[in-house]
Amino acid sequence: MENNNKLEKTEIVKLESVAALRKTMDDYFMRLKDAAENGTAKIAWCTSVGPAELLYSMGFEVYFPENHGAMLGTTKIADKYIPSAVVKGYSPDICSYLTTDIGAFLQNETPLQKMGFKSVPKPDILVYNTNQCREVADWFGFYAKHFDVPIIGVTTPLNIGELSPAIIDSVSKQIMDLVPELEKVATQKFDMDKFRERVGLSHDGCALWRKVLETARHKPSPINFFDSAIHMGPIVVMRGTQYAVDYYTILLAELQERVKNNTGSVPKEKFRIYWDGMPLWYKLSSMAKLFAKLDACIVASTYCNSWIFDDLDPAEPFISSALAYSKLFIVRSDEVKEDVLENLLKDFSIDGIIYHESKTCARNSNNRYGLQNRLFEKTSVPFLEINGDLNDPRCFSEEQSIIAIETFIDQLAGQKALV
Amino acid sequence: MYRLGLDLGSSYTKGVVVDDQNKMVDNYCVKTGYSFEKAAAKIIDNFSENYQLQSPYYTCGYGREQLSVPCSSNSEIIALAKGVFELYNRKCSIIDIGGQDTKYIKINESGQVDKFKMNRKCAAGTGSFLEEIAFRLDISPQEFNAFGEQATDEVKINSFCTVFAVSEIIGMIKNGTSLPNIIVGIYSSIVTRCIELSPVEDYLVITGGLPDTHPLIVKLFSKVFTNSGSPEHSQFLAAYGSVLLNK
Repeated sequence: MENNNKLEKTEIVKLESVAALRKTMDDYFMRLKDAAENGTAKIAWCTSVGPAELLYSMGFEVYFPENHGAMLGTTKIADKYIPSAVVKGYSPDICSYLTTDIGAFLQNETPLQKMGFKSVPKPDILVYNTNQCREVADWFGFYAKHFDVPIIGVTTPLNIGELSPAIIDSVSKQIMDLVPELEKVATQKFDMDKFRERVGLSHDGCALWRKVLETARHKPSPINFFDSAIHMGPIVVMRGTQYAVDYYTILLAELQERVKNNTGSVPKEKFRIYWDGMPLWYKLSSMAKLFAKLDACIVASTYCNSWIFDDLDPAEPFISSALAYSKLFIVRSDEVKEDVLENLLKDFSIDGIIYHESKTCARNSNNRYGLQNRLFEKTSVPFLEINGDLNDPRCFSEEQSIIAIETFIDQLAGQKALV
Repeated sequence: MYRLGLDLGSSYTKGVVVDDQNKMVDNYCVKTGYSFEKAAAKIIDNFSENYQLQSPYYTCGYGREQLSVPCSSNSEIIALAKGVFELYNRKCSIIDIGGQDTKYIKINESGQVDKFKMNRKCAAGTGSFLEEIAFRLDISPQEFNAFGEQATDEVKINSFCTVFAVSEIIGMIKNGTSLPNIIVGIYSSIVTRCIELSPVEDYLVITGGLPDTHPLIVKLFSKVFTNSGSPEHSQFLAAYGSVLLNK
């Protein structure tokens, strides 16, 4: 670090696609609003890596409370909402998406009110997959009771090593078993051709999302984690729709143009970082500035990579859904995770890893069982661990973390100078 | 002309004067209080009587970017590593116990930081932990070491939380445990929190305000790590290193 009060300002180069992103997301919410207020469609609530394709194929508008949790996180006032959930018996140590979302609901507040919603859209049915964590079932259970609507779901085994036929068969059968329950609520009967079509669209959207993220292999990277965490919105909430495919076609074209012109997201990219764990939703902007100031670009992340489901195959929609949603990083064994990370470090030419140990998200904190040390022994890629949380700002010491990040980049600079 | 190094920490601001032979010729420490600017001004006033200080100043610590005068800043971890390497000129591990941070730093044979780790989001194991206990027990922190030297045994403090640790200590006092034995228990709990940061490799250098003013802590470390020590004025090594980084 040089001459602190004379530091040259460096900022992330903003993506022009953000206007298309905003429209895509606004339109999505307007469809939900229309369904909620005018009954144009039934509404299913779905977990972020739940069977969205099936729900869209049966005519539901699909709402994702985790997306809402992240929106609440970016408002930076999750700590205003969490206490309301805590007094209802939800521990402040469990998922802060859950406690923020339920707390905000109890206070009758939502960022959707700025878009004209009276409240979050009332569900007709709630559908979960526990592939990411058990909390999602508990979370949805609160709303099922409150709204007196059915709750159904898929229970995926945890800590999956080999994706055995038994696991795929079980999960596939559980997805099939959702159909009769959904038909009791839906306006349309299940139609295999429509399901195949949605699975195909989801595959295409995910394949584009993969290509978007893989543009970051280029030096300098045209995109960084802080962009990706925002631009992943459509792949989370519109998987299985043409809207997501259309949006990622636009974004990919812009990124390919940047690659062609050697335009980096961080103007003077010197360090390429991998981010493991959840984003700090309440600090996205300041963290983005900090890394840019340090000429460091977070080029890849476990979080954004988790929405690549390109094993989806319209020829085998149930089986491939089971495969894609059980192959998810978060539900795999540490041995598999280590292999995945090792490959990503090579593919993206990573100089250092930052593990964000999120206080309320154990499943997304991969430095709790020694993985960070084992991976270092294999790869010699230095790592830093910081403590924080996805939504609860009270769990994050900003000054301490800034010092740690700045020192880590200095450490990488020293090691690069020796090479 | 002399160069000024400032380590603007959360609890104390440490200043050093370095001559053109890169020797630390003077040092001074004040409480940081609510203003880094005021704390730095006190140090500058103190040194200005005897030394002509050149601009810019060299800063590290939480307040490294808070001064209105021209400064060149560094992370205190990199600065401390530099200061320690200047003294020892060898591959070693450092444990630094500051006001609100405890740090483990591993430096290689070239003096580069290979690895570092800071305490989790909790002040147990730091100077603030000891100060809070001293305040609650109505003892001056400066008296701790003398009490501890009289210990005949060591009690175990289990609580991770500073406030609950005091409750635990009050329970011990009620049960007749002697204050010196309790104080050694407090020191030991600090040592334990430091040790769990990372495996210590090679020679261990213990630095920071706490080991400087509580030498019993250094003794306790040496029971665990025979190959360890704490240099004189160790709390000034980050300020010293911040100057040397720019030599």
